[in-house]
Amino acid sequence: MNGCSNQSRRRFGRLRAGSLGVVTVLLLGALAFTVTGCGTKAKNTITVLSAGDVDYLDPGLAYYQFSYEVLYPVDRPLISYKAGSTDYQPDMAASLPTVSDGGKTFTVHLRTGVKFAPPVNREVTSADVKYAIERGFAQSVPNPYAGVYFGTLVGIPTTSPATPKGLDIPGIETPNKSTIVFKLTKPSGVFVGALSLPLTAPVPEEYASKFDNKKQSDYGFHQIASGPYMIKNNKAGTVTGVGYVAKQKITLVRNPNWDSKTDFRPAKADEVIFSEGFQDSTVLARKILAGTGDVNGDTPIPATEMQSIMANSSQKKQLFFTPVSGTRFIPLNMSKPPFDNIDVRKAVAYVLDRDAMRKTRGGILSGKIATHFIDPGFGTHGFDQSGGFGFDPFPSPGFKGDVAKAKAEMKKAGFPSGMYTGPTLTMVADNVPPGSDTAKVVVNSLGKIGFKVNLIAQAHATMYTDFCNVLKAEPNICPNVGWQADFAEPETLLDATFNGTAIIPRNNSNWPQLNDPAINAAMAKAKVIVDPLKRYQAWGKIDEMITNTAAAVPWLWENWPTLFSSRVDPALQLWNGGSPDVAFMSVK
Amino acid sequence: MTQPINNEASNAPRPNRPGGGLRSSAADYARTAKGVLFSSMFRYIVRRVIWGILMLLVVSALTFVIFYLLPAGDPAAIRAGRYATPARIAQIRHQLGLDRPVYYQYWVYMKALVVHFDFGTSFKTNLPVGGEIFRRLPVTFSVAIGAVIIWVAIGIPVGIISAIKRRSWLDRVTMGGSLVAISAPVYWLGLIALFLFSKDVGVIKVFGGSGSYVPFFQDPGAWFSSLILPWFVLAAAFTAFYARMVRGNLIETMNEDFIRTARAKGLSERRVVFRHGLRAALTPVVTMAGLDIGTLLGGAVLTETVFNIPGIGRLAYDSIIGSDLPMIQGTVLFGAFFIISANLIVDVLYAFLDPRVRY
Repeated sequence: MNGCSNQSRRRFGRLRAGSLGVVTVLLLGALAFTVTGCGTKAKNTITVLSAGDVDYLDPGLAYYQFSYEVLYPVDRPLISYKAGSTDYQPDMAASLPTVSDGGKTFTVHLRTGVKFAPPVNREVTSADVKYAIERGFAQSVPNPYAGVYFGTLVGIPTTSPATPKGLDIPGIETPNKSTIVFKLTKPSGVFVGALSLPLTAPVPEEYASKFDNKKQSDYGFHQIASGPYMIKNNKAGTVTGVGYVAKQKITLVRNPNWDSKTDFRPAKADEVIFSEGFQDSTVLARKILAGTGDVNGDTPIPATEMQSIMANSSQKKQLFFTPVSGTRFIPLNMSKPPFDNIDVRKAVAYVLDRDAMRKTRGGILSGKIATHFIDPGFGTHGFDQSGGFGFDPFPSPGFKGDVAKAKAEMKKAGFPSGMYTGPTLTMVADNVPPGSDTAKVVVNSLGKIGFKVNLIAQAHATMYTDFCNVLKAEPNICPNVGWQADFAEPETLLDATFNGTAIIPRNNSNWPQLNDPAINAAMAKAKVIVDPLKRYQAWGKIDEMITNTAAAVPWLWENWPTLFSSRVDPALQLWNGGSPDVAFMSVK
Repeated sequence: MTQPINNEASNAPRPNRPGGGLRSSAADYARTAKGVLFSSMFRYIVRRVIWGILMLLVVSALTFVIFYLLPAGDPAAIRAGRYATPARIAQIRHQLGLDRPVYYQYWVYMKALVVHFDFGTSFKTNLPVGGEIFRRLPVTFSVAIGAVIIWVAIGIPVGIISAIKRRSWLDRVTMGGSLVAISAPVYWLGLIALFLFSKDVGVIKVFGGSGSYVPFFQDPGAWFSSLILPWFVLAAAFTAFYARMVRGNLIETMNEDFIRTARAKGLSERRVVFRHGLRAALTPVVTMAGLDIGTLLGGAVLTETVFNIPGIGRLAYDSIIGSDLPMIQGTVLFGAFFIISANLIVDVLYAFLDPRVRY
């Protein structure tokens, strides 16, 4: 065995050489092809890197922040926003709506000369906007917010028709091709803001009906642009397999029918590519720094990378932080003990180590520690009115928790030692970081006043749909929830989450199940206030009322980090949580 | 040396055939034996295919049951969005057919699959599941086959050399290295490879990086460049594992009696190792390779994730996260199909590799 012959030695030598040969051939081959590899990019192309995909390409269905980022340069709603601003900007509308009839009628005049992209190629009319909104009430186009913001239109169908065919909502009138009038059954303070949602982007009925009149509309795969860009399509208008490859790529090209005189967007880039599937955010961040991507689309930059970037003076100016207009909070289920007792809830509000919780999401760069629910991103639209940074009913040194005050509250609640002695609490949390880490900090904090917690880890979607959103299955605590506003109106932040009349058996978002008659009444009043300043004042007061109940403990006003490459001029959608605004970005 | 096989052959030579009666009889026997082998093998294959189909049915039924029994997210609620009322969710549930009993949903699914080869429509994207999987199949093939070539081309020779040159410095280095390769998590190794050698974020900018995959027919050069790192990363642990397995098997085989007999007959060491030793030592390797290749064709989730390669593994992962039952079902069925097929191929190969195996 040990005495190998020369022949066999040669043979083994050949074997060794053979395997080395395979490696060498592969490596040399790859080197040879290096020149033709990736990285070839048109000069005036912007590349957005993302981890996930849009939820829908249909403006009547899209609801993800990332979907808005893709669709706002493509489909023009009646109102939208300039980059870097949260002020309403007439978009498909020529001017902001005229409000009459005590806040029940909204008249909008459309811009003229705006044309649909190929293959429709005709001018947009008010009938296209009417159809776009109406289709959102059909079962085949189950828009997620039509009932909430457009449900007060006169003549809304009581039961959703299967398809939009023949659906005519009398509360949407089109007296002429460039005027649309909305008539509501009661005044609405948020209706103007709702006109900035993508549901109001025009949809050509004669083209879309064949897709909409199916069991499930697939108009999104054939959608027609009205903005400066269109999703690259074929002659029939189909985008799937052309400009849209699911979970891989979305390619925006110029809409040949777009007239810059009808728009406020500069739309300087010739092409925008949303390159998807970058699940590793470190790789994503480094690609942007290397210039092979231009900006992060839907994934935050990891904390370690942010710290490294902030320490680098040349890279620092490429990183931007935007308040997301939303709050992360810990709801305490008031429908059962022990959180049906306000003193126990206050004890929890005092004892939580919110500083440690923030560290689980990246520390100080991830945002400010929240002390109430209206986010600093609202500014004068309610944040200042609720006391701004000065309102903190449950303070603790360094936000690290105040055990002494918590114990005092527990004593008031009937626990003489200041320590909880009741049954174990249930908590359903994310099964992956950072949510799972936050949950562990909460468990640790609660342990300081005697709470024992049965922590159940679930996938994020399951946590919501099978536990926290289902009244019968809801645990005592859901530590990984939060809420982001649809637009800069406090109602969109507080109504669904804390209005007692909004509690429903499934898909419930009022997680603490707060049903306080005074708060419900205050909300009902605030909703119909048409004057913005009075409305913001009212919602600021409601924010204080909610926070004082300790039904939920706010802990993070989150910042969204957006990293731009050095080859582009940055632009942000402040109204959309700090997403990049590709219609305002340009290649240097 | 040829012996008569049976009486009939020895007693009834066929003089009209060149070579004489005995040789002719042996050839006849060989043909008959081959015929018997192939006919029994054919029966075996048919039997295994039927079992394979039954297995796929069981897998599909289990996937359905597991999805509904365990908390997996409510697809209707996810699709409906955060403001949807229970009535709206019920409408969507009805649209998706989720309000029907599980056995009925399963029946509808299987009927569409068997009759129309229709894998259904994704709950999440509305796209046809079959189309999405077939679109990604060449990607997963590209990743898997390249990795297999590497680990076979490196792992087996290294194993052989280590076995033959036992306790040499080469043996120690390769086996030590293989321990490192087995222990290194694929995801970590992928990141290291990217940060060292990728064109965009690497220190030495050579190969295509994360998200650089392009189909072969679009640009063969870019395809090759984009896959070289994933191939090596995916193959690393397999190469190490196969090298160690081949080494162990070969060392064990080389101590068998038949090897001693072969040497005693005066055969060259090369012939002893390659003709006798390796053939026996490779049988379990082929079994493992079959299973591993089948599994990889079902998707290499981590490699596809770190290198952003749009293969079936990524699709399966995304589907599970999004509670997208039709897509989960489709990817699971494809994975199971590949594993069952690979098993079948391996079992058939046994007949050729190991003459003792009969069906």
